[in-house]
Amino acid sequence: MLRSEQNDLLTQTGPDTPLGRMFRCYWLPAMLAAELPENDCPPVRLKLLSERLIAFRDSEGRYGLMDEFCAHRGISLWFGRNEECGLRCPYHGWKYDVTGQCVDMPNEPEHSAFAKKVKLTSYPLVERGGVLWAYMGPPETQPPLPEWEFATVPAARTYTSKRLQECNWLQAMEGGIDSSHVSFLHRGDINTDPLFKGAPGNRYNMGDLRPVFEVVESPGGLYIGARRNAEDGQYYWRITQWVMPSFTMIPPRGNHSVHGHFWIPIDDENCWAWSFDYHPTRDLTDTELAAMRAGKGIHAKVDANYRPIANKDNDYLMDRAAQKAGKTYSGIEGFAMQDQSLQESMGPVVDRTKETLVSTDSGIIMARQRLLRAIKAFTEEGVTPPGVPLEHQRVRSAAVVLPPDQPFKDAAREALIAHPGVAPASV
Amino acid sequence: MSTAAEARFRIQAPPDTHRAVKVIDLDAATDAEITRLLAEVDDADLVLMLVSAGGNAEAAATIGGACSARRVMTHTVVVRAAAATDEAISKTLAQVRPWSLMVVVVNDDDYVDDILTSFR
Repeated sequence: MLRSEQNDLLTQTGPDTPLGRMFRCYWLPAMLAAELPENDCPPVRLKLLSERLIAFRDSEGRYGLMDEFCAHRGISLWFGRNEECGLRCPYHGWKYDVTGQCVDMPNEPEHSAFAKKVKLTSYPLVERGGVLWAYMGPPETQPPLPEWEFATVPAARTYTSKRLQECNWLQAMEGGIDSSHVSFLHRGDINTDPLFKGAPGNRYNMGDLRPVFEVVESPGGLYIGARRNAEDGQYYWRITQWVMPSFTMIPPRGNHSVHGHFWIPIDDENCWAWSFDYHPTRDLTDTELAAMRAGKGIHAKVDANYRPIANKDNDYLMDRAAQKAGKTYSGIEGFAMQDQSLQESMGPVVDRTKETLVSTDSGIIMARQRLLRAIKAFTEEGVTPPGVPLEHQRVRSAAVVLPPDQPFKDAAREALIAHPGVAPASV
Repeated sequence: MSTAAEARFRIQAPPDTHRAVKVIDLDAATDAEITRLLAEVDDADLVLMLVSAGGNAEAAATIGGACSARRVMTHTVVVRAAAATDEAISKTLAQVRPWSLMVVVVNDDDYVDDILTSFR
């Protein structure tokens, strides 16, 4: 459980909140690059960290991310004309470049210099790995570009999707580090989903439905190890990475692609669930890509606004017959919506003063405490939060078999670091 | 039903759990304290063992065995000081893993209070 004020601290990410300021220390996945597919394409409205923004790609391919509303009369620039290296408000013709600088003000006298004094709040927006990343913090503390492995491998080896999740970011992220739910909620899918089935290590999962968990601090967050018995007294470990504030990476299975998530606050009651799949040493196959686009694995089928087709308005297409037959454990199809349906059912912001945690929730408990400590250190002493240094981003999850007395953090040390061109440690 | 408006109609009283958590510091525990804990295991919902990396965790087997027989959850927190060697942490993990259904390895013993508070 958390005290009410702790719950507020960890769930509020607006511009004037402690966690909101900390989130603004990071490059955050803001959009898919495909949302701005060509120069002078239509602008896109988006909300991040409770700020309404407009994104556009100018005539020379530069990306802009700025205040959604024109400085003149507050018109949404989504109605704007994206032309000749700027976004022009259709009301009176004010035009802004990708930095938010007003460059034309046609309802002022010709040669007036007033436009130079008008600049909208804007943030850097850069493409990396098919994702547009935004940095919303102070310019003087802007970190180097992100180096998450899924965003740095060749394009043919990576696939990223996003979906709207209608709840606070923290309860969504906590699902990503709650390894104990997998044995229940997802038990029907490990051996049937095309992006999971067939891995040799799956037999350990199915042979031992009561894994033992071990949570260890990492430089950027936590390692969450799920331990099952293997042959000859050894342990089969599945090691999840959580890197602050909201990156998780699921252990791989066989030669399947590796996957994980970011959960990025839209506002305090909604977030983007980002899902990536990649392989460090081979291209994704057409079959794998087709499955990902079809919403298999950790992805979901979404509409044009990235809202899942199965959503709370249609009870997530609940299938009681499939539930009863054991085809799915909850009656909801697919890993992503199995998680999302339950997390949204908790309400927009779950009240953590009323929960009843148990030992297998230790990953969640530790993550909250690490976040609270990081917020305090950042707010009171200006300490750069974990997850900002690039070495914290060069990580991998792993699935390994180890002798029984070894700390997985040390025995699998190299497997937990992203080494370009080296295959993931997987069983 | 999962809207902010509907959230207002949730029952506001927290669940009534009355969980009994027993805590023992393996590094400092005397034989008498271990004996007393063993007598209390029947009434416990959770036994939480604390130990430093390289510390004396021999009692974990006795306590863990008693908890296993009575189907009581065991949780061990290993505090790993910066100076702790790989050998020290291996020795401790080898002692506690067979008897712990949850292990947390932390670098700072301040986390212990936070973990206990979470189990209220």
